[in-house]
Amino acid sequence: MTDYAIRLRGISKRFGDHVAVEELDLDVPRGTICGLLGPNGSGKTTSIRMILGIYVPDVGTVELLGGTPDHAHRRRVGYLPEERGMYKKMRVLDHLAFIGELRGVRAAEGRRRGGEWLERLGLSEWGDRRVEDLSKGMQQKVQFVATVLHQPDLLVLDEPFSGLDPINQDVLEGIVRELNDQGTTILFSTHLMDQAERLCRRVCLISRARKVLDGDLREIRRAEDRGDVAVEFDGDAGWLDIPEIEHAREEEDGWHLRLRDDVAPRVIVERALAAGVELHRFEREAPRLHEIFVRHAGEDAATEAGRPPAAQITAAAR
Amino acid sequence: MRSAVFAILKREYLERVRSRWFVIATLAGPLLFVAIAGLPLLTAGSSGPTELVVVDRTGRLLATVRPGLEAVGYSVTSVTGADTRAERDPAGVRSGSIRDGRLFGVLVLDSATLATGSARLTVANALSPLREVALRQVVAQSALVDRLSSDAPEALALLSGGSLEVDILDARVEVEGSDFIFAYLGSFLLYMTLLFYGVAVMRSVVEEKTSRIVEVILSSVRPIELMLGKILGVGAVGLTQLGIWALSVGVLAEVGLPRLLAARPELAALAEFDAVAPSTGQLILFLAFFLGGYFLYSSLYAAVGAMANSDQEAQQAQAPLVILMIVPAVILPGVLENPESSMAVWTSLVPFFAPVLMFARAVSGWASAAEVTAALAGIAVTTVVVAWVGGRIYRVGILMTGKRPSMRQLWRWVRAG
Repeated sequence: MTDYAIRLRGISKRFGDHVAVEELDLDVPRGTICGLLGPNGSGKTTSIRMILGIYVPDVGTVELLGGTPDHAHRRRVGYLPEERGMYKKMRVLDHLAFIGELRGVRAAEGRRRGGEWLERLGLSEWGDRRVEDLSKGMQQKVQFVATVLHQPDLLVLDEPFSGLDPINQDVLEGIVRELNDQGTTILFSTHLMDQAERLCRRVCLISRARKVLDGDLREIRRAEDRGDVAVEFDGDAGWLDIPEIEHAREEEDGWHLRLRDDVAPRVIVERALAAGVELHRFEREAPRLHEIFVRHAGEDAATEAGRPPAAQITAAAR
Repeated sequence: MRSAVFAILKREYLERVRSRWFVIATLAGPLLFVAIAGLPLLTAGSSGPTELVVVDRTGRLLATVRPGLEAVGYSVTSVTGADTRAERDPAGVRSGSIRDGRLFGVLVLDSATLATGSARLTVANALSPLREVALRQVVAQSALVDRLSSDAPEALALLSGGSLEVDILDARVEVEGSDFIFAYLGSFLLYMTLLFYGVAVMRSVVEEKTSRIVEVILSSVRPIELMLGKILGVGAVGLTQLGIWALSVGVLAEVGLPRLLAARPELAALAEFDAVAPSTGQLILFLAFFLGGYFLYSSLYAAVGAMANSDQEAQQAQAPLVILMIVPAVILPGVLENPESSMAVWTSLVPFFAPVLMFARAVSGWASAAEVTAALAGIAVTTVVVAWVGGRIYRVGILMTGKRPSMRQLWRWVRAG
């Protein structure tokens, strides 16, 4: 029997007339990194708040670390909310020690661990400064430290990387992976699909308060594989206008082709050679999360994420 | 759970006590007091020469003038009878000593002094009003005593201020003027501090809400624990501040005042201050009503803070509370003047008014023990109800953003909690 860090069974939450989450089921086995994906306003934050017992679901049950989301279990969770605040006038180490104390770490021990983390993140000389003196990126790192200071069994991160520059994003991603290697279960929400692809073993896609799809990311991609190929070439793109190709899309890294059913990928290579273009790359392509999401939730739902659909050229249109 | 409340209390307390605001606010009170009461002490050493030459041409006033002058801090060198004739112009002869500060001045008493109490004083610089009044009174007093002792010895008794024997038909309480003063000052201090610390709780709640730290905290702490820790923390700051003030006033009264009076006898009127000092029982009453009122109002203020999304919104939302607090402050003079009227009795039993009004009546001696007990019990019961309702509003409101809730929504929060 698998041990679960989180099990949700049919939880719903409405605020007045607004349905925030509708009948959500979710299993997060211990030791995995699970992504909660969906556009803004799809119900990610409300779901997370119910997991943590900040909101009580109208119906349904929440199981957290094998029990109810009560005080004792919540202490074993590290939660980084999307809108995360700090006491601006407090000194960084005092702030870390205080948050640790709320979760049962003695103040002195919290300061020690906080110091170690700050050193690791290159912030050691900022420990005695006031929070308000830190840059936004530094504050985000300190908030992350506050979240993991009490060595939680489960990390719940709501849009953890938003607003971070790529370098710091990499640093935090590395730490998340490392904590996961040490056995910490991680649930994080994001509307950035490619980030989820990099980090997650499991994903749960939600749209408009409802779950669209969830499970092991590799299995999902295998099941959703439609035999797409990616090609890069020099020369005129006119040869792509052939009946074997249902749909072609150009992105920065080349063309992404959706083939009609029963078309073998080999045919595309032959066509390219016949057209006389110089082929640099040709590969089978597993479906992207964004695409899977669109397939299941519809283009409208995906654009709610604020992500404009990539430039598209369909064979029919040309 | 207890450790989380304690951690919140500790943070609230330390952050506040360490802040510049606390130091300024705490120092400002006693400093003002010291500035008013203690400044003369600082200047006492540099108050210049105290030697005063008294030329008594009447030959009889010196006996009463000398102790009077010495009582207000002058050392008297007398020049009587024989010398008078030798020195027609005593002040002129000594003008050098007066100018270079070896001598304070020369006071000449003559027949005009006996007749009208007027005398002539020669000094280097203009007199401070305080000194002038003190000197004038010494001279006039001794002239009056002289006149009365010859004309109407029995009238001397009038000088001591007479006496009034008061027969009280229904002797329920004994009221002393000093109690009245503490009742008035104490209730004013209660009103100010309750308002001050209540608003401090509210602002702290709003700050946590607007900075969004609250969600981090609530992921590991129950809302009611956060509210309790905060109220206890701010309350501890309040007690610290009051304690510091009480201590400084105490030290000033016990140590500073006697030294001040020794150095500047002309400030004798300040000795009255000692009589105003509250008794231990009165201080306990103050503490009881402060704590009761603080828990009552801070619970209300915490709920108001949880409803608001910004400081401005909170300022508006607290209007009903401010009115609740102002009412007793406004009717306080009436209650003190007529402490046994039914209006005074009933308003002082209303839990929201009791901290100020019942305290005032109790300290001035007009409230029975039963009334004080009833008021404190009323405050306690109301506090429990308010904390329960406020806690529920706080619990829902603290995570809400957007429009301020209507009364109907508030009621739903309370029921849903």
